[in-house]
Amino acid sequence: MPSVQELKAKVLGEIESRADEIVGISRKILENPEPGFREVKTSALVAATLKELGVPIRENLALTGIRGELGGGGNGPSVAVVGELDSLIVREHPHADPQTGAAHACGHHAQIGMMLGATMGLLASGVLPSLSGRVVLIAVPAEEYIEIEYRDELRRQGKIEFLGGKPEFIRLGHLDDVDIAMMCHTTSNPEEGQICMSGTNNGIVAKRIQFLGRGAHAGGAPHLGINALNAASLALMAIHANRETFRDEDTIRVHPIITKGGEAVSAVPADVRMETFVRGNTLEAVMGANRKVDRALKAGAMAVGGKVNIQTIPGYLPLRQDKSLAGVFRANAASIVGEANVGQVEHRTGSTDMGDVSHLMPAIHPYVGGATGLGHGADYVVQDYSIAVIAAAKALASTVVDLLADGAALGGKIASQHKAAMTTSEYLSFMRSLAKEELFDFTEA
Amino acid sequence: MSSIEELKREACATIEAGKQEILQVAREVLENPETGFNERRTATVVTRQFQQMGIPYRGKLAMTGIKGRIECGGGPGPTIGILGELDSLLVFDHPLADPDTGAAHACGHHAQIGMMLGATMGLLSSGVLKELSGTVVPFAVPAEEFVEVERRLALRANGHVEFLGGKQELIRLGEFDDIDMAMMCHTASDMGARRFTVGGTSNGHMVKFVEYTGKGAHAGSAPHLGINALNAANIAMAAIHANRETFREQETARVHGMINRGGEVVSAVPSDVRLEWRVRSSTPEALVRNNARVDRCFKAGALAVGAKVRITTIPGYFPLRHDPALQDLFRSNAEELVGRDKVLIMSTDRNRGGSTDMGDLSQIMPVCHPWTSGAAGAGHSKDYLIRDYDQAVINPAKIMAMVVIDLLAEGAQGARKVLAGSRPNMTKDQYVSFQRQRATVLDYDGAEG
Repeated sequence: MPSVQELKAKVLGEIESRADEIVGISRKILENPEPGFREVKTSALVAATLKELGVPIRENLALTGIRGELGGGGNGPSVAVVGELDSLIVREHPHADPQTGAAHACGHHAQIGMMLGATMGLLASGVLPSLSGRVVLIAVPAEEYIEIEYRDELRRQGKIEFLGGKPEFIRLGHLDDVDIAMMCHTTSNPEEGQICMSGTNNGIVAKRIQFLGRGAHAGGAPHLGINALNAASLALMAIHANRETFRDEDTIRVHPIITKGGEAVSAVPADVRMETFVRGNTLEAVMGANRKVDRALKAGAMAVGGKVNIQTIPGYLPLRQDKSLAGVFRANAASIVGEANVGQVEHRTGSTDMGDVSHLMPAIHPYVGGATGLGHGADYVVQDYSIAVIAAAKALASTVVDLLADGAALGGKIASQHKAAMTTSEYLSFMRSLAKEELFDFTEA
Repeated sequence: MSSIEELKREACATIEAGKQEILQVAREVLENPETGFNERRTATVVTRQFQQMGIPYRGKLAMTGIKGRIECGGGPGPTIGILGELDSLLVFDHPLADPDTGAAHACGHHAQIGMMLGATMGLLSSGVLKELSGTVVPFAVPAEEFVEVERRLALRANGHVEFLGGKQELIRLGEFDDIDMAMMCHTASDMGARRFTVGGTSNGHMVKFVEYTGKGAHAGSAPHLGINALNAANIAMAAIHANRETFREQETARVHGMINRGGEVVSAVPSDVRLEWRVRSSTPEALVRNNARVDRCFKAGALAVGAKVRITTIPGYFPLRHDPALQDLFRSNAEELVGRDKVLIMSTDRNRGGSTDMGDLSQIMPVCHPWTSGAAGAGHSKDYLIRDYDQAVINPAKIMAMVVIDLLAEGAQGARKVLAGSRPNMTKDQYVSFQRQRATVLDYDGAEG
């Protein structure tokens, strides 16, 4: 039997030798950006690549997702390597799709490259018979929580229930047989090193809000109108007035936008719409802030005697990473990029649906460098693909080897020692309990 | 028997002769400003003058009011009230403000006390009254300015008053039951070349006292444990402003107020914030509607931060309705005294935006509330001063004396004609019960919203 070190060396050699091919896939995705649940070209590219490698796949999961599987030489846990298919929408990004504005301003194209790179390394190196268990390759849609209106329409049509890719994968049972999940996200912060271990992320609920007033000629008869824009404006002020009650340790983020603010400046706005997220470090913090936001929204409608329809949409859960699994990944990262180049961050105030996965099984979501610019900005680009894609692929594949070699002793231990925060059915009922739509009517009797 | 013209000449000559004394009284009141229901020194000035003239009176009516009563010599007839308002405003930076209280006559009421006593002197000392029929009631009334609401609510809680405006309270106490019609004259600073203005109307209003209760907490170390009552008030005020576009010009809505208490120390989340607020409009319908909107905004402020709010609505003043016949007597005497081109007649729907409890009295009896020039500076500001005392005090005194002569001479035919033609909106009892219905307390808990 070859040693774990020997197995890893074979895998890393294989990835290194295919580096150009792997980076080529990432670059091709970069030039074909597609936002969540619309990743048709990206999905086709992943499917074709896996088929060419002879990996059995299932397609069109949660609309555009793909699942492939590599079997080991014996029984053992299933370890998922996850890559996210979707782009953001940043019209001024240099690689933006001129039609849709879609752009990979969050580096997900690198994730697909590293997932496929790890696949190639594990498969072509011939190490799989020495591993016990299975490697599940997942290309998952829609991590960025955007285009709420579009996705809510998909929901109303019954095409999805949840608005994020991984919650949909969970709901559809595509992670039921997965024991451990990992992925690696790019970062542009040079202080985080070439590979960076991370801590927690904020959870999130999304809200769609519609203020309903009464239209009237804004010059001729404003007294006959009910100004829905004033309701929204006061609701925003009311939200701001509550900010002093948000605790530092809860890292609350509430950041609304107005998606419809009136129709003609000469008419009292009667239909004003907003979207917002409410984020926080714990579920309790998110729900507490969400109650305050609801109250503020109602206050805006009450102030002008209008109505407000508040739709709360389940978002993502806070991320909690498995420390043992992170330790394995970190050791591999150190041997690939050097101890000095491994960073550590604690809490991040953004959100990811890997948080949802992390409530069900041991999961990690470390970061890999190689990008520059501001995340989600027009200048966010991957500069060093040898880090962002290749080093990450190596670290992920090495971690798979550690987990599943030696009869999957380590993978089995991590899976069995992990205390899941929720079962899948608990998760689904919690998510469904968040989904709410209520109309509050303050019009004069 | 003297003719009406002779009686008027006598009265005016007497006022002219007593001018220095009359103006001295007005100046004494000016220099001792006191806010409503506090007018003790001012009341002393009035009682002293009544005593000097030998006028029987009753004092301490609605706390500080003084009501004289002079029977005419020509037999029974209607009773005419000549009113003067005792109270000052609060304007701390007024040059003649009381340095301790901030009280200042920034609305010219001291001139009213002067003209009320001057008119009485003109009728009484001249001997004119002997030839008139009926009764003249010189009446110094408290608390026309609707200020210091929190303090007056304490007076109400202690049973000293029920209504918080002077004439409202005097009506309730029955002190207008034996008066058939009333007049007064208010100073103004915005009349240009005119000396007198008659007509027009004023806003009705609702008075509000708003108390937000939040939860105190260290504003630095534990703001998350607090509920910020000041933020509630701030959102409510912004909400009121957002509603301004729904106020119609013809309803002359005025919605304004002040924060009486805005927190205790800057390092604690304010938990007790109090506001005094005013909703004015020209019609009862608009007043009810705009008042409901303001209530909604105060509730919205509480809801916005999860605070509690108590909205105490206090019966305010009615729009002013002049009696056309009584007003016409004032107009004709004013024109005779200062010239036709110096008297402006405003249409009955011309609303100056302010409010007066003479509006309340005008619901139950014929009244007139004309304006005299002689003041300068913006009303209710530190700049408001009487510049021309002859015009602000002496001329109105003469005109009011002449109006009384027109009313009560020749067997009080004039007064009887006014009464025959007047149609009060309501009886005193209807007025009191209407006002009592408007006194409400609304409690709303924004944490439960």
